[in-house]
Amino acid sequence: MGKIFDFEFMISIIPDIIKGIPYTIEIAVFAFVIGIGLGFIGALAKIYNVPVLKQLTNIYVSFVRGTPLIVQIMLIYYAIPIFVRLINQRFGTDWDISWIPALVFMLVAYSLNAGAYLTESIRASLQAVSKIQIEAAYSVGMTTWQAMRRIVIPQAIKVGLPVFANFFIGLLKDTSLAFTAAVPEIMGQAKIQAGRASRFFEAYIDAALIYWVICIILERVVAYVEKRQHLTEKTGGVKA
Amino acid sequence: MIEIKGIKKRFRNNEVLKGVDLTVEEGQTVSLIGSSGSGKSTLLRCINLLETPDEGKISIADLSFDAKEINRNVRAKARRRTAMVFQNFGLFENKTALENIMEALIVVQKKTPAEALEIGLDYIERVGMEDHRNHYPQALSGGQKQRIAIARALALDPKIILFDEPTSALDPELVQEVLNVIKKVSNERTTMLIVTHEMDFARDISDKVAFMSEGQILEIGTPQELFGNPKEERTRQFLDRYLQRFTYVI
Ligand SMILES: Nc1ncnc2c1ncn2[C@@H]1O[C@H](COP(=O)(O)OP(=O)(O)OP(=O)(O)O)[C@@H](O)[C@H]1O
Ligand SMILES: [Mg+2]
Repeated sequence: MGKIFDFEFMISIIPDIIKGIPYTIEIAVFAFVIGIGLGFIGALAKIYNVPVLKQLTNIYVSFVRGTPLIVQIMLIYYAIPIFVRLINQRFGTDWDISWIPALVFMLVAYSLNAGAYLTESIRASLQAVSKIQIEAAYSVGMTTWQAMRRIVIPQAIKVGLPVFANFFIGLLKDTSLAFTAAVPEIMGQAKIQAGRASRFFEAYIDAALIYWVICIILERVVAYVEKRQHLTEKTGGVKA
Repeated sequence: MIEIKGIKKRFRNNEVLKGVDLTVEEGQTVSLIGSSGSGKSTLLRCINLLETPDEGKISIADLSFDAKEINRNVRAKARRRTAMVFQNFGLFENKTALENIMEALIVVQKKTPAEALEIGLDYIERVGMEDHRNHYPQALSGGQKQRIAIARALALDPKIILFDEPTSALDPELVQEVLNVIKKVSNERTTMLIVTHEMDFARDISDKVAFMSEGQILEIGTPQELFGNPKEERTRQFLDRYLQRFTYVI
C-alpha cells in the first residue's frame, strides 16, 4: 500500500516538469507576437472601415470569441492535415505532414486565438489617442504611417499596456491546453510524469506551482514597467 | 501669396462651401469672421487639404492645383507650405513641448536632430516658453499649449499659417497671452489667415477682414471698412449682434 501523498515524488519530478517551460514560453510568446500583428491588421480594418477585410475581421473575431479554445485547437489540429491532403490532391504535390511537429499546429491555433482577442484591445487603444493629434500630425506634413508610428502607436501602447500584459499572462496559462496535442509543455510534462507513477495529484501540484511562480514573476515585471512609465507623472509631467 | 478660387465642398447633401474666392497677400494677416456653421473651419481645412475640396483652384506660393488633381503628392506639398493652429491645440501628448516643435522638422523636413534642436529652441523662446521645454502637454495650461502649437507652426517655416479659433478653448484669463503671441507673429509679417470671434483683436491686427456667411465670403475689406461701414446688410446684422453681445457681457 503506497503513501496517500508522496511528497518526495512530488519534489523529484520538478526538474522534469520544468523542462516543459520552454515550450510554454515559446507558444505564449510566439502567439502573442503574431497575435499583435493580426490584431493590428484587424484593428486597422475596423478603424478605417476597409471593405471586405472589415467583414472578415468581424467574422473571425466573433468566431474565436464564440467558441472554446479547446475546440479551436482540435479544429486546427485536424484541419491542417486535411488542408495539406487537399492541396496534394489538387496540385499533385506530395507533401508529407507527418514531419510537422504538433507544436507548429499549436503555434497556429494560439496565434489565431490571440489575434482575435487582441483585435479589440488594439482597436480600443489606438482609438484612445485623440483624433485632433492625428490631424495635427497630418497638418505638419506627416504621412499616415508616420503619424501612426510616431504619435499614435506609442500612446496606444501606453494606454493598452495593462490589458496586453494581462492578456499575455492569461495566454501563458491557456497554453496548458497544448498538452491535448501531445506538446510536452508544463502540463504535458506533468501528465507524462504523473502517468509513469500513477501519481496525478503530486504532478499537477507541481504544474500549478510552476505556473503560479511564472505568473508572479510576470506580474512583477509588468508592475515595474508601469511604474517606469508613470515616472513623468511623478515629476509633474516634466521629462526626467 | 495664396489664392483660392471657386472652392466648393459638400458633406452629403449639405453644401458647406459654395464657391469661395479669397486672396491673402504675402505678409498679410487676414481675419475670417462669421457665424457658427458658416464654413470657416471647413475653408481652412480645404486649404491644407485635411478636407478635400470638390471643386476649385488653390495656389500657395509656387504650388498651384485644381481640386480635381489632388492626390497624395499634392497633399504633401500643400501641407509642406501651410501650418495650422487648432482650437484644441493638437499637441502630441507623447512629446515634450520642445519635441513637439522639433518632430516634423526631423520626420518631415529631414533636418538633423542638431538643426531641429537649434530651430526648436529659437521658436520656443519666441513664444516665451523656454522654461517649459521639457514639459509634456499634460503639464501645460491651455494658453501655454497654444503658444507651443504656434511655435510648432512657425518652426515649419510655412508660406501661410492657418489659425482656427486659437483662443476659443481657453479660459478667459489665458486668452491675452496667446493673442499677444499671435500679434507679435503678425507684426513680423508672417502670412496668416485667422478664424476668430475676437472682434477687437481682428480689428487690431488684420490687414483685411472677411465676413463669411452660408458658405460664401460675403464681404472683404480693411478693418475700417468692414467694421466701420459694412456694405452688406447681413454683415451689419452679424456685427450688431456681436457688439451687443459684448455690451451685455460687460
Ligand atoms: N466632417 C464633416 N462631416 C459632415 N458635416 C460637416 C463636417 N464638418 C463640418 N460639417 C458641417 O459643415 C458646416 C460648416 O461647419 P464649419 O465647422 O466649417 O463651420 P464654422 O464656420 O467653422 O463654425 P464654428 O464657428 O462653429 O466653428 C456645419 O453645418 C457642419 O455641420
Ligand atoms: Mg469652426
